[in-house]
Amino acid sequence: MSPERKIDLAWLMLVLLSVGGAGIARSDANAVLVAVGVSLVMAIKLRLVCNYFLELHEAHPRIRRAVLAFCHGMPILVILTTAFGDTLSSLTGALLG
Amino acid sequence: MWVGIFCEITEFALLFAVFFIARAHHPEAFQAGPERLSLLAGTGYTLMLLTSGWCVARALHAMRRGDRRATVRWMLAGFVFGLGYPAIKIFELQRNFALGLDGSAGVFIVSYYYLTFTHLVHVFWGLLGMMWVIARTGLGAYTPEEHSGLEAFACYWHVTDMIWLMIFPLFYLLG
Repeated sequence: MSPERKIDLAWLMLVLLSVGGAGIARSDANAVLVAVGVSLVMAIKLRLVCNYFLELHEAHPRIRRAVLAFCHGMPILVILTTAFGDTLSSLTGALLG
Repeated sequence: MWVGIFCEITEFALLFAVFFIARAHHPEAFQAGPERLSLLAGTGYTLMLLTSGWCVARALHAMRRGDRRATVRWMLAGFVFGLGYPAIKIFELQRNFALGLDGSAGVFIVSYYYLTFTHLVHVFWGLLGMMWVIARTGLGAYTPEEHSGLEAFACYWHVTDMIWLMIFPLFYLLG
């Protein structure tokens, strides 16, 4: 498959996932499940942009690791802060006084 | 180029940290928040930026195979879709202000404005950069062998796109 064709398919996937993600968020499932679904969609979309648009494989390894940590960290943080919001609140409350 | 991108993600990482702390301290406000915003506008921004990013990626590949006219055409298409972002922003802001969603509408809306306006500033820089790159491409400044300016711009634009892919679910989807 040509690189251009891969980019076209990545864009199509991104559009479908964006619309599908909105559908997940509007479902009546519990908050943690919705957070997991939305985070999963976010992670896939970020990975598609990194691989096919940004061409992250060409970056310096340190930069690549930093960008990937950011892309993987965000969806994980969404789930953790949804599931353990009270703990984060008490921790940051203690730190901020 | 990559160092600049590292700085950009560091800036937004700090802003996201503030978001998560505010969300932990005010769960009710953030749970009710997405229903106060227009999901149609949020999805519209996403589709505009993704499509603009796709056009820029295609422009880069056109340049690599030496097709300068196709590069300019793809970049112009990317610019038009990129302009869709501020255009939707104008309509969304009119809607928000009509509904009383201004700076005094609570912690969720304030968080929404500071993150999305910071992102909007990055989009504006990107659109200005895109105009510059289109002009340079049209004047023949880039070749299949040397088009680092075009590559640098494309990287910046895709990272701006990625940041939006994080902002969109935080404010428009998670209840």
